[in-house]
Amino acid sequence: MMDRQSQFLGMETSKARSVRGTLVRLWHYFQRYGLILLLVGVLVISSTYMQVLIPDLTGQAVDCYLGPYSMAAAAGGGAALGSFADNAEQANAFSNCWYTTPDITATAGETLAGFGRLILLIVGLYVGSAVLSGFMFYMMSWAGYHVLRDLQAQVFNHIHQLSLGFFTKHEAGDVMSRFTNDSDTLQQVIGFGLVSVLQGILLIGWIIVVMFQRNAPFALISLVTLPLMVIITRWFSEQARKAFRRARQQIGNVNADLQESISAVREVQAFSREEENIQNFRESNAANRDANIRAQAYTGALGPALEGLSYVSLAVVAGIGGLLMLRGGGLMGETISVGLIITFIGYTQQFNRPVQQISTLWATIQSAIAGAERIFGLLDEPVEIKDKPNAIVMPPITGHVVYQDVFAEYNPDEPILRGISIDAKPGQSVAIVGPTGAGKTTIINLLPRFWDVESGSITIDGIDVRDVTQQSLRRQIGIVLQDSFLFSDTVMNNIRYGRPDATDEEVIAAAQLAHADDFINRLQDGYQTVLGERGAGLSQGQRQLLSIARVALIDPRILILDEATSSVDTRTEREIQKALEELLQGRTSFVIAHRLSTIRTADQVLVLKDGQIIEQGTHRSLLEKRGFYFDLYMSQFRRKSTEEDLPDDLNELELMEPGD
Amino acid sequence: MQLSGSQQAGKQKAGGRANLQSLGRALNYLTKYPRLTAGATVALIIATAAQLVVPQLLQRIIDTIVTSATHQGILNLPANIQAIAAQKLGLDLVAAQAELDAAPRALITAALIIVLFAVARGLFAFGQNFMSQALSESIAFDLRNDIFTKIQRLSFSYHDRNRTGQLMIRATDDVERLRVFIGQGLLMALQALILLVGTLAILTWTNIRLTLVVLPVLPLALGIFMLFGIIAQPLFVEVQKRLGRVNTTLQENLAGLKVVKAFTAEEREEKRFHENIDSYLDQRIKVSRVFSFLFPFIFLIANLGQGAVLYFGGRQIIDGTLTLGEWQKFSLYLVYVFIPMGQLGFIISLMAQAGASADRIFEILDAKNDVENKPGAIDLGEIDGRVEFKDVSFRYFPGGEAVLSHIAFTAEPGQTVALLGATGSGKSTIINLIPRFYDVSEGQVLIDSHDVRDVTLESLRQHIGIVLQETVLFSGSIRDNIAFGRPDASDDEIIAAAKAAAAHDFISGFPQGYDTPVGERGATLSGGQKQRVAIARALLMDPHILILDDSTSSVDLNTEYEIQKALDQLMKGRTSFVIAQRISTVLNADLILVLDKGSIVARGKHEELMEASPIYAEIYHSQLAEDIAPASAQPDLN
Repeated sequence: MMDRQSQFLGMETSKARSVRGTLVRLWHYFQRYGLILLLVGVLVISSTYMQVLIPDLTGQAVDCYLGPYSMAAAAGGGAALGSFADNAEQANAFSNCWYTTPDITATAGETLAGFGRLILLIVGLYVGSAVLSGFMFYMMSWAGYHVLRDLQAQVFNHIHQLSLGFFTKHEAGDVMSRFTNDSDTLQQVIGFGLVSVLQGILLIGWIIVVMFQRNAPFALISLVTLPLMVIITRWFSEQARKAFRRARQQIGNVNADLQESISAVREVQAFSREEENIQNFRESNAANRDANIRAQAYTGALGPALEGLSYVSLAVVAGIGGLLMLRGGGLMGETISVGLIITFIGYTQQFNRPVQQISTLWATIQSAIAGAERIFGLLDEPVEIKDKPNAIVMPPITGHVVYQDVFAEYNPDEPILRGISIDAKPGQSVAIVGPTGAGKTTIINLLPRFWDVESGSITIDGIDVRDVTQQSLRRQIGIVLQDSFLFSDTVMNNIRYGRPDATDEEVIAAAQLAHADDFINRLQDGYQTVLGERGAGLSQGQRQLLSIARVALIDPRILILDEATSSVDTRTEREIQKALEELLQGRTSFVIAHRLSTIRTADQVLVLKDGQIIEQGTHRSLLEKRGFYFDLYMSQFRRKSTEEDLPDDLNELELMEPGD
Repeated sequence: MQLSGSQQAGKQKAGGRANLQSLGRALNYLTKYPRLTAGATVALIIATAAQLVVPQLLQRIIDTIVTSATHQGILNLPANIQAIAAQKLGLDLVAAQAELDAAPRALITAALIIVLFAVARGLFAFGQNFMSQALSESIAFDLRNDIFTKIQRLSFSYHDRNRTGQLMIRATDDVERLRVFIGQGLLMALQALILLVGTLAILTWTNIRLTLVVLPVLPLALGIFMLFGIIAQPLFVEVQKRLGRVNTTLQENLAGLKVVKAFTAEEREEKRFHENIDSYLDQRIKVSRVFSFLFPFIFLIANLGQGAVLYFGGRQIIDGTLTLGEWQKFSLYLVYVFIPMGQLGFIISLMAQAGASADRIFEILDAKNDVENKPGAIDLGEIDGRVEFKDVSFRYFPGGEAVLSHIAFTAEPGQTVALLGATGSGKSTIINLIPRFYDVSEGQVLIDSHDVRDVTLESLRQHIGIVLQETVLFSGSIRDNIAFGRPDASDDEIIAAAKAAAAHDFISGFPQGYDTPVGERGATLSGGQKQRVAIARALLMDPHILILDDSTSSVDLNTEYEIQKALDQLMKGRTSFVIAQRISTVLNADLILVLDKGSIVARGKHEELMEASPIYAEIYHSQLAEDIAPASAQPDLN
C-alpha cells in the first residue's frame, strides 16, 4: 500500500490547460467502444450495489436472528427466550429488522435455517461482486488499451507526415518521451484507475445515501471524520508532491554525476581527479538522501493518519451509538439498534479504501489528462508538406534538376536560403561546399520535398516537385545521409530497405557495388547478421558502406549525398571513395562535400555562404578566381601539407603564388 | 535481447543462494545504524500491537451495549414478569441495574481508549515508517558512495568490459531496489509475522472452534497467491519484451525519419508499428485478463472467510457459546489475517529482486582492480621526461592474444615520438601503458628509470598530459574544465593556458566568457572548440610528458589550422607521444615507430624510413597522404 502511494505521489504531475476539451476529445476515442462502456457502467453500478448491500445484510443477520439469542446469551443462559424476546423488542435494541419478520415462536433450528439462508445470500453476493468486479476491470482495461492503441497508431502515422520543420523546433527525444511517458500515465488511468475512482465515488455516495436513509442523524455523527480524511489526504499529498519534486531534482544531480564520471572515467583518472569527484558525489548523494527522507516522511504519514482516523470513526460509531441506544429513545426520534451499529461499523470500514484510493489516484488522473492534452497537441501539429489534391505521379525522369531563385525558411522571417539558382543537367554532379550553417543541408532537403521552398521553384525534367506525389518523387531519388542510420534488422533487410521486393541476388549485387560485400561476408552470420540498435556492432565506415549499398539497390536517377565528416580508418575510407565514385557514375548528384576528391571531380562546385551561392564553377576555375573558395581550400591545404607534398599540385600553387 | 533475457532468468535461478548471501551482506549495513534499526523495530512492534488491540476494545463496546440492552429490557419489564425473567435468566436485578448505570461510563471509556490507541498507532506507525525510510536511504547513500568510489578507481580494463549504462543501472536501479526492500519489505515482513501470529493467537484464545473453521482458508489463499505469481511472471516479462519492440520501432522512426521518408517506407513502417502495438496490446489484455480477476478474487477469499465466520459464529451465538461482541471482533481480526497474506507475495518478489540487485552491486564492489598503487609505492618526484619501453608485451587477459609484443624504444626528454599503424596495430595500447591505464604483461615501462609500477598513480599521472581523440568535457564552466586537472589554478594561469591553446578568443566571445557553462546541461561547443579546451586543460598541467591521440575529427578548415598551431605549441619542450594523422607531425618527429600487429616493424626518421622501409612508404602514401590524395588524383580529372 505504501509502495503504491509513494509511487503515485512521486510521479511527475502537471495540470492540463483545458481539461474539458481534452476529455471531450478523449471521449471520441472511447465512443467506438461505447457498448463495452455501457456494460462497464452497468457492472459498476451492480457491483457497487452489492458492496453496499452486504454490510446491511450482515446487520440484518444480527437484528433478525442473532440479536434475541445474544441477549439471552449475554444474560447467562439460553432458556426462557420466549417471553423475553417478546419484551426485548420493546427495548428497540434489535428493532431494525426488515429482512424478515422476527418470529418469536421459531425454534432454534428454524432460526438457524433462516440464518443460514441469509448467510448463503451474503456469500452469493460476495461471489457475485467478485465476478462482476473482475469483468468490470477486464472490460474497462480492454477498452482503455484499445483506445490507447488507436491513439498510438495515430500519433505514429502523424509523425511520418510531420515535416523536418517540426523537428528543427522539437527534439526527437521530446517526442519520444511524450509518446512513451504520456501514454504510460494515460494507460494507468484509463483502465484500472478510472474504474476504481468511479466505483469509489459511487460507493461513497451510495453508502452516504444509505446511511442517511437508515438514520440520518446517526449517519451525520458517523461521517464526522470524513471531511477530515479528505483534508488530511489533500494536504499530505500536496506536501509529498512538492517534496518529491525537490527529491527528483536531487536524484537528477546524482544521476548526472554518475553518468559523467563513469562515461568519462578515463579522463578522470588521467587527470587524477578521483578524490574531488568522490567528494562532489558524496555531497549530491547526501542532498538526495535528505530530500528523499523528507518526501518519504510525508507519504509515510498519510497512511497512519488515515488509519488512525478510521479507528476514531469506529470509536465514534460504536461509542456514541451505544450511548444513544442505552439512553433509549434513539437520536432525534430515530431508533438505534445493535444491528444498526454493526451495519454502520461495516460502512465506516468500507469507506477507507475508496477515500485513500481516490486521493492517491487523483493526482494521476490530473497528469493523465495533461498527458492526453500533450498527445493531442502532437496530433494537432499541422502537416506542412502535403500532396496537392491533383498531384500526379512523377513519370520516369532523366534527372534534369533546376532550382530557380529559391528562398526557404524554417521560421518566419529567418531565411535560410536566399535566391538559390542551380541548373544540373542529367548525369552531372554538383558539389556544395561552405561553412556550417550556410544552408547546404537545406538545399538538398528541398529536392525530395523534406521541406518546401518559400518562393521560387524546383523542377525535375521541367516538372515542379510540388506538383507530384511525394512517394513517386522520392522513389526516384537516392539519399545517403551523413549519419548512416540503420535499423535493428538483418544486414540483408537493411540494404533492401528501399526495395523490399528485391531478391537476395540483387541485394548482394548492390553490396558488391558499394564495396560492402567483403566485410559483410566476414560478419558472423553474413547477410543475416542482425544489427543492434542504430547499427551498433558496425564501425562508422561500415555503416556508411551499407547505406551506400542501400541506395545502390534502388538505382535512382538522382542522388543526394551528405558526406560523413567523422573519421573512419583509412582502408574503409578508400572503399567508401571507390563505392561513391561508382555510385555517382551517370546519375545527377548533389553532394555536400567534405572530401576534396569529391569536389575535384564535380561538374559544378557551389560555394555557399549565408544562404547564398557566392561562387560557382569547377574546382579549378574557382581556385583561379582566388575568392572565398580559394581561402577555404588554402586554409585546409596549408594545414595538411608542407613543401614536400606539393610537387603534384605545383601547377595550381604557382597560380596562387602571388597572393600567398 | 531474447537470449540475454532467458540467460538472465537461468542465472537468477542458479544464483538464488548467492543472491540471498548478497542480501545478507547488504543487511550488514544495518549495523552501521543501530539506533535507527532498533527504533524502527520497536516502533513497529508497538504500532502493530496497538493495531491488534483495537478490535478487542470494539468488542468490549459491543458487548457492553448488548448486555446493557438486555438488562435494560429486563429492568423495563413489569415487576412480576421481571422477577420471573430474572430468575429464569439467573440474573441479579440489583447488579444488573448497577451494571446498566455504569454502562455509559464504560462505553465512553472504551471509546476513548480506542481513540488513544488510534493515536498511538498513528504516531508509532509514522515513526516506524520514517525511521525505516531514513534507514534505507542512509544505506542507499552508503552503497552509492561505495559504488561510485569503486568505479572511479577501477582500471581501464574493467571499464572496457562494462558499459556506462550498465554501471549506471547498478548505482541507481539496483540500489533503489535494495533500498525498497530494506525500507519496506523487511519491516513489512516483520509486521506481517507479528500480525499473523498475534491475530491467530487472539482468535484461538477467543474461540478455538471458530478459529479452526477459518484456518483452512489460509493455506488455500497462500496457494492461490503463489499460483498467480507463477502465472504472472512470464506474462510480465513478455509485456516488457513487446513494449521494447514498440519503443525500438518508434525510436528508429524518429531518429531515422529522413531515411524512412527518403525510401518512401512510411507505409511499411506503419504496418510494422501497428503489428508491434497490436502484439503489445494482445499481451496486455492477456495480463489484464489475469489481473482483473486477481484482486476481486483476493477479496473474495477474504470475504469467504468472513462468510464462514458469520455463519459458524452465528450458530455459536444461537447456541449461546459466543457473544455478539466476540463475533464482531472475530470478523475484524480476520481482516488482519488476510493483510499479511496479501503482503506475502509482495515481500517475496521484493526480496527476490533485492537479492539479485545486491548480487550485482557486490559484483562491482568486489571487482578486482588491475591497476593499483603498490604497497610502498613512492612519489615520482620531479622528472626529466625520459621514457623507456623495455621489451614490453601486453595482453588484455592472461593467456589472451598479445596486443603488443616485445616493444622496446627510448624517448629522450623533449623528443617527439610518432606512432603509425593500422587500426588495431597497438598504437593506443602503447600510449595507454605510460600513465598506467593498463599494466604491462611482460617487460617494463620506465620513466627516468623508475618503473611506472613502483610509483604512486597520482604522482605519475600528474606529470602526464593527455589529449584524447574524443574530447569529453564535464558539466561546469569552461574555467572549471580547463582547471580540471588542477582545481587550484589561478585565473591568470587558466587564461594563459587558453591563449596558448588558441581558445581564449572564442571563449571571450561568449557572453559569460570563462563562466560559460558547458557539458550536458550547458552550451554546446563545436568539436574544434572542445578540442582546444582539452588542449588548454592539458597545457595547464604543464606536464613533462604529453600524449596526443591526434585523429582528425572534422572541424571547419580554419579551426583545424588553429588546433594544429595549438598542438605545436603544446608539444614544445615536452616528451610527446603522438598517434599521428597529420603529415606535419610525422615529418617533425624525432622518432617514428611503425607498428603492425603489435610489433614495431620499422623505426627512424621520415627520410630514413622513406628509403629503408617499404611499409612506411606505403602507409605514408595511403594513410597519411589522405590529404595529398586529391593531388595525385589530379591527372584523372583531365
